[in-house]
Amino acid sequence: MSERIIEILVSSFTQILIPGIKVTIPLTLASFALSFLLGMVLAIVQVANIRGLKWFARFYIWVFRGTPLLVQLFIIFFGLPRLGIILDAFPAAVLAFGMNLGAYNAEVFRSAIVAIPQGQTEAAQMIGLNYPQTLVRVVLPQAFPIAFPSLFNNLISLLKDTSLASSITVIELFTTAQQIAARTYEPFALYCEAAVIYLAFSTLLTWLQTWLEKKLVWKTKEKYLVAEEQA
Amino acid sequence: MLEVKNLHKSFGTNEVLKGIDFQIDKGEVVAIIGPSGSGKTTLLRCISFLEKVDAGEITFGELHHDMAHITQREIRRIRFDMAFVFQSFNLFRNMTALGNVMEGLVTARKVHREDARKTALEMLRKVGMEDRAMYYPDQLSGGQQQRVAIARAIAQNPQVILFDEPTSALDPELTEEVLDVMRTLAKEGTTMAVVTHEMRFAMDVASRVVFMEGGVVVEEGPSKRVFLEPKEERTRQFLRRAYDAE
Repeated sequence: MSERIIEILVSSFTQILIPGIKVTIPLTLASFALSFLLGMVLAIVQVANIRGLKWFARFYIWVFRGTPLLVQLFIIFFGLPRLGIILDAFPAAVLAFGMNLGAYNAEVFRSAIVAIPQGQTEAAQMIGLNYPQTLVRVVLPQAFPIAFPSLFNNLISLLKDTSLASSITVIELFTTAQQIAARTYEPFALYCEAAVIYLAFSTLLTWLQTWLEKKLVWKTKEKYLVAEEQA
Repeated sequence: MLEVKNLHKSFGTNEVLKGIDFQIDKGEVVAIIGPSGSGKTTLLRCISFLEKVDAGEITFGELHHDMAHITQREIRRIRFDMAFVFQSFNLFRNMTALGNVMEGLVTARKVHREDARKTALEMLRKVGMEDRAMYYPDQLSGGQQQRVAIARAIAQNPQVILFDEPTSALDPELTEEVLDVMRTLAKEGTTMAVVTHEMRFAMDVASRVVFMEGGVVVEEGPSKRVFLEPKEERTRQFLRRAYDAE
């Protein structure tokens, strides 16, 4: 490798990493938060069988899963101003990513909720819990650990998909790499460097997932107690 | 105290309950027996509105309702004084034994946490599960889980407890510990309706027996009388087979 390329890689590293930390990660987290809430609501209106809303949820999921993310991004950023709705690039990206992933997370939550045995709901109702209480106290706490790996999977996908925001003028990790690549005429080196930084971010997320999954198993502590007692 | 009349229930084209009359008085223990598929479990599930009823009337204390046209609110009112013990226990898997017993008190009945905790521990003591209060359901044996489920039921201070084959999912050696708890409750005058295959338990503990087959009540009466001198040929056949099995 020539000295020049090494020099470019070293000097560009922090230039790419900083927008990665300042833009890509906040964009990922904000979009995921939106998709989490949206997914939860879209799943609950379906399992609770709320007429009208259930139909809306199915329609929403159909549209957002059935059209490309890049097209949704363009509609929101370039299209909506025609209707008088003008958004900055960053909020437009959050909205597009959040609404898109919301459709996927809705299905994750729905299948997790459906996996909880009917008997749990029946027992809750027989001790006097109403439907919202049953959801909050019994169903969702059991559904969440089931949904968790798939949700995290979607989070890692989202981290990488945020690179699409470069196409609507968000100055994030990939946009910066593109700019430096154009300036230095070293696309191979720069895009590989960007890939390595994405890989580092997603590796961190994977570690976080492993750590959280251990925390999520609600009976771990007591299991050890029993094991000790029996030993 | 609890009475249902002319109860009809079909699953699709299969009519499971063909006009059942059933009643239970305060302090009574009624055993509901009969072959599989006779509608015993469906009867209990209809009484507690876990199944939607096609037709029928219910009188429960002061309350009287057309069971086919009852609102969710009225159902909750009825369930307030009714408890259900499931064949598969259905303990909340995300809560400890103590949490399971406290849940209805704290969330539904708005009992203060500390009071609920005291009540719950007392109920767990009653079923001999106090030392397992902090265990999660999947750390308990089936018999222990069912005892916790019974503690959860009695903690609600219900007028009547419906037991749906409470020992059918248990190994034979675990059955007795659950039946013992139920015997104690019966002695204390708890009103109970028990769907069961435990004939000895039904004969010893129940004050009255209802024999069901094919969605109708074939015979009912004081348990000694039904067991020792059944009037109907079908009852006689069923009991003979049940004794042979035991």
